[in-house]
Amino acid sequence: MHFFGRTPDTLWTLIAAPAIWAIHFLASYVAAAYACAPNADIFRDIGGVRVFIGIATVVSLVLIALFFYRAWRDWRRRTTGGDRGTRQDQEGFLEFATMLLASLSFLGVLLDATPALFIVDCR
Amino acid sequence: MMNREEGATGLDQNDPEVRRGQEERLRKAWAAPAGWRYLSSVNNTEVGLWYVGTAMIFMLFAGVLALGMRVQLAVPENDFLSADLYSQFFTMHGTVMMFLFAIPIFESLSLILLPQLLGSRELPFPRVTAFAFWCFFVGGVFVCGSIFFGAGPKGGWFMYPPLTTQERFTPGYGPDIWLLGLSFIEIAALVAAVELIVGTLKCRAPGMRLNLMPLYAWYVLVVAGMILFAFPPLIAGDILFELERLFGWPFFDPSRGGDPILWQHLFWIFGHPEVYVIFLPAIALLAMVVPTFARRPIVGYSWVVLAAVGTGFISFGLWVHHMYTTGLPAISLGFFTAASEVVAIPTGVQIFVFLATCLAGRVIYSVPMLFAAGALAIFVIGGLTGVMVAMAPFDWQAHDSYFVVAHLHYVLIGGMLFPVVAGIHYYWPMIFGKTLSARAGWYAFWPMFIGFNIAFFPMHFSGLMGMPRRVWTYPEEMGVALPNLISTIGAFIFAAGFLIFVLDAVRPRKNQPYEKRNPWNAGTLEWLAEMPGEAWGVRSVPIIETRYPLWQQPNFIKDVSAGRFYLPDAEEGRRETIITSVLAAEPECVVRVPGPSHVPLVAAVLSGLVFIFATFHWWLLTGATAIAAGAVIIFWLWRGTAEIPEKPTKDVGLGLTLPLYRSGPASVGWWAMFITMFGDLTAFLSFLFGYYYFFTLHADFPPPGTEGPGVFWPSVAAGLFVATWLAVELSKRTNRSGRVTAARLLMAMAAVGALAAAGALLWGPHATGLDPVAHVYPATVWVIVIWVALHAAIGCVMLLYCLARSLAGRMTPDHDKDISNVTLYWHFTGLQALLAVATVSLFPLAV
Amino acid sequence: MILSAKVILPRLRVFAALLVPAMAAACSGEFSTLDPAGLEADRVAVLFWVMLAGAFAIWIFVIVLCRSVVVRAPRENSERQARRLILWGGAVFPGVVVTALVVFGVGMMPELRRPADGPTIAVSGERFWWRIAYDVEGGPGVVRNLPAGGVPSANEIWLPVGRRTEILLSSPDVIHSFWIPAIAGKMDAIPGRVTRLVVEPTRTGVFAGACAEYCGDTHAQMRLRAVVVPEEDYAAHVAAQAEPAAVTEGPGPELFLRSGCGACHTVRGTPADGLVGPDLTHVGGRSTLAAAILPMSVETLADFIRSPQHLKPGVEMPGFGMLPEREIEIIAEWLGSLE
Repeated sequence: MHFFGRTPDTLWTLIAAPAIWAIHFLASYVAAAYACAPNADIFRDIGGVRVFIGIATVVSLVLIALFFYRAWRDWRRRTTGGDRGTRQDQEGFLEFATMLLASLSFLGVLLDATPALFIVDCR
Repeated sequence: MMNREEGATGLDQNDPEVRRGQEERLRKAWAAPAGWRYLSSVNNTEVGLWYVGTAMIFMLFAGVLALGMRVQLAVPENDFLSADLYSQFFTMHGTVMMFLFAIPIFESLSLILLPQLLGSRELPFPRVTAFAFWCFFVGGVFVCGSIFFGAGPKGGWFMYPPLTTQERFTPGYGPDIWLLGLSFIEIAALVAAVELIVGTLKCRAPGMRLNLMPLYAWYVLVVAGMILFAFPPLIAGDILFELERLFGWPFFDPSRGGDPILWQHLFWIFGHPEVYVIFLPAIALLAMVVPTFARRPIVGYSWVVLAAVGTGFISFGLWVHHMYTTGLPAISLGFFTAASEVVAIPTGVQIFVFLATCLAGRVIYSVPMLFAAGALAIFVIGGLTGVMVAMAPFDWQAHDSYFVVAHLHYVLIGGMLFPVVAGIHYYWPMIFGKTLSARAGWYAFWPMFIGFNIAFFPMHFSGLMGMPRRVWTYPEEMGVALPNLISTIGAFIFAAGFLIFVLDAVRPRKNQPYEKRNPWNAGTLEWLAEMPGEAWGVRSVPIIETRYPLWQQPNFIKDVSAGRFYLPDAEEGRRETIITSVLAAEPECVVRVPGPSHVPLVAAVLSGLVFIFATFHWWLLTGATAIAAGAVIIFWLWRGTAEIPEKPTKDVGLGLTLPLYRSGPASVGWWAMFITMFGDLTAFLSFLFGYYYFFTLHADFPPPGTEGPGVFWPSVAAGLFVATWLAVELSKRTNRSGRVTAARLLMAMAAVGALAAAGALLWGPHATGLDPVAHVYPATVWVIVIWVALHAAIGCVMLLYCLARSLAGRMTPDHDKDISNVTLYWHFTGLQALLAVATVSLFPLAV
Repeated sequence: MILSAKVILPRLRVFAALLVPAMAAACSGEFSTLDPAGLEADRVAVLFWVMLAGAFAIWIFVIVLCRSVVVRAPRENSERQARRLILWGGAVFPGVVVTALVVFGVGMMPELRRPADGPTIAVSGERFWWRIAYDVEGGPGVVRNLPAGGVPSANEIWLPVGRRTEILLSSPDVIHSFWIPAIAGKMDAIPGRVTRLVVEPTRTGVFAGACAEYCGDTHAQMRLRAVVVPEEDYAAHVAAQAEPAAVTEGPGPELFLRSGCGACHTVRGTPADGLVGPDLTHVGGRSTLAAAILPMSVETLADFIRSPQHLKPGVEMPGFGMLPEREIEIIAEWLGSLE
């Protein structure tokens, strides 16, 4: 595995970043829903869940950044435009699309963490 | 550069005699059946057209319902429609537009376009396409027909329980018609989605790498994938819903531990991706239209892929924004507010890609571009109000008011109907060889555009002035009489415009000459189509080196038409196309697709009858037709699939020889099974979600005094499932290695094992006396084990089928598609069995 | 041309001509969200106007841009410009806008859901009316069932101005949604759950509300009224509602009981103690009838008793048209006198 070397890209590496977003989103939602489900005292602080979401956010952001970096390393050395029928073009296209998706996912994870920043309980 | 002067079998493709012979054989192989046998046609062109036509008729029907509603609301305290009829009208309007128009129009247009776009002759499973169409037709007519008997569903297209689950609130069959009719249509939609995914991944012309795929195909891939993960939760929800209605299992009944909100979760996990399932294909049409009329390749191809894939993912994180007012904690609403706002970014990217392409190109006027511009003007308003209602605090006011009605129509009509009309204008000559009238297009556009805005813009204000949705009348003092009257007038102007479009489409055009080839001077493969069209789709399967081959590959049309690429002939008189690899589109094998047959029609009608009889609780007939439908499907598989070819390989031209039979991941059947089972797994996970959902909801789950299915019988079942699973895998391997007798023995053993495993799994809850009617806990356990046991039973039938195939000599060590696909099925079934046992038996021990 | 100024400008004028009166009308009215009389409605109205202004600017920008890219001939550097347009217009700009909106929107939620400092009122949405119980015991959390007790009433909810009143919502039948647009956003009333809405009216007056979740054929006729009064008037009103009926003897109550009305309705002070329909102890004091769809008067009371299906199709109350006309009048007169 040459994670940081020139690496072949596939449909799986393309969707890795949004998949991380999806897992982060689901984990945050489930954690909050589980903590708030008893509904007994809605103004009780749920600090534990917020810390968990914070950690999940940092981990997700790092992973997404790695996928971005991995694609960018290869892509910046390319000279082809990505619109011809060669192996290099296919790689270049996948790398560029991966970078875009990683950027979107990065912002997505960041914004999905804001509720945990502002809201401290189950109100 | 390869020598394209030399044809498939070393023949001279320059010789007109050679070409004429090839063309005759191709024409004969691909000819649509004539006369009464026309209905047995399975070719994507014919079935696609029936599909589009039927969807359009349903759309007109739903449009008339909408006009009825607008008349009722034109003035306060009107009595044009009764409350009862009004409820049926708005329920059917939403249901039909969503399930019988928006989804099918995408699938049907894609069925027509996709093979052409990919340079393929046909999608891999034409009979499945036909089956999906007939299912849609039968189910759609059944659902729509109910309103003429006053028995239409009237719970809204969202069917919220307990209004719809309990007889005392909604007597009659309405909800059953909705549930069973639509479940049936959803299954058809899923089937078509599987076909489209496999088609996009495996049927691309050689050389069409992922980065050269037409953008439409990218959208098809994303959207079909979304259907695959979005529809199963709804089907799971439908099953729970119908179990409550038919047998009183209390999933949504709070008096016995159920919760009506679970339905909302399952419905909207489907329902929000659904919006993008409708919107993205329409954008995909524009992604084909805009470059053609900007006279240049699209700017920002990768950006569009980003947008499509990104939207596909994020659309699954939006569902709760339909539930902002159900009292969920603010922190949960916050997550969905964030995701709902983020989804605006890929949407913005798509709009700006089109603007950028226009900027870099030289735009010429055309009717499709006119509709595209109208779509932009309307959709941007819908998108912006979408950004507003995505904000939870604003939605607390706007939710379920006419503001949302305005918003969703701006999104769907701007983001879907206008692009579809643009697409129909654009692709009409590809299908019929003649263009629609440009003048009629102009005359249709302006009433549609202006009428639409007059009808829907005031609704924003009606909503903010306090008018709730789904009201059949409103009082004068609400102060919304004027905006409602304006809306009604606008609706009729809009309808008049659409009528002009429809009349232009259906008027006879005998005297109109055929267009020249590629009338718009487009750059993509579908414009290889001859005018008038030929049934073979593409004369020879080309090699693709660019994104816009008609613009960028010299002599392209001429070479394709002269048969200078692959498969220019049909020597054996069979319908053939090339299967290629997923990423690089390297040729892997030739697939022979089946020709006309009545079997899909019969199978679809019988399956439809199963659902219809079940609606009216005619259980004997339901059972009998279910068996008949199963038998027809097995007959279909036996006769029509995994056929052993008369020779192992075939010369496809240009010095390339490809195998005619491959199993495993090189075969389309394997991919179809793989993708189908992913959808199946999603449905199963929805049931598990239900289980854990109730667990978080109840302080005690299982409730005190109730015993779960225990540990013993579920463990036995798990052991038997693993043993069966291993036996299936072994039988595949022994068969492949030539030990046929051992393989047959293993298949027989596995078939018995499957039944034993199912029995053991069912015995657990039975032995501890779990009563599914008493409480939601036993009901949930029963649903999970019955689902898995049913899979085991079907797996048993599959194994017996393989055994029979082997005994009949239709499955050999070299030709093992059947057992290879069944093994894949068992991988998923085994996984589900283990998850089921872990949930119902082990999880209660752990907490 | 596709979108020439000739086409756009008249359309804008038409829009404006339609818009201005519509907006002016929308800004007032007892149903309107844009004539706020509550803290939440006020904040949301401001949010709406800000977002509307932004949306309008963006729409104009996109349309003008669309026109200019369509008419402009391509130049040498067009493609580079086009790529920049996608990056800045399609990705960065929306990214900045939605980030700002998320921070703002999420940030305002905790404030709007601050704890209550006023009374707690239980409201049950029922087909097709609202059961109200004033001054129930409430906690900071959301309970499993609506708290019992309180002062019963129906369809007209009184609220103290300037206090944060906690409204606990549920339903015994189907899902309804409690919405008084001028005061706050809506909240669903869901069978098996208790949801919570804290409202803070900022000025006195009478405001209209409605059920916002489709609950059956009569959904359109399930409305309510909110009467916002000073705190001491609220206390006085609740105290008055707690009293038994003003007139408990005479031909009115006798006929009421004899006709079986007490099976569904309660009139405190008489043997009528049914819990199916609205409490009628002080029905004459309410300003509307049949879930705020009819003005309260002896005539409408009589009409409603005679043929409720006619006035409110789908209503669960059976008609009593078989009673002699005189008896209906006596019952209606009595009910009208119960202030």
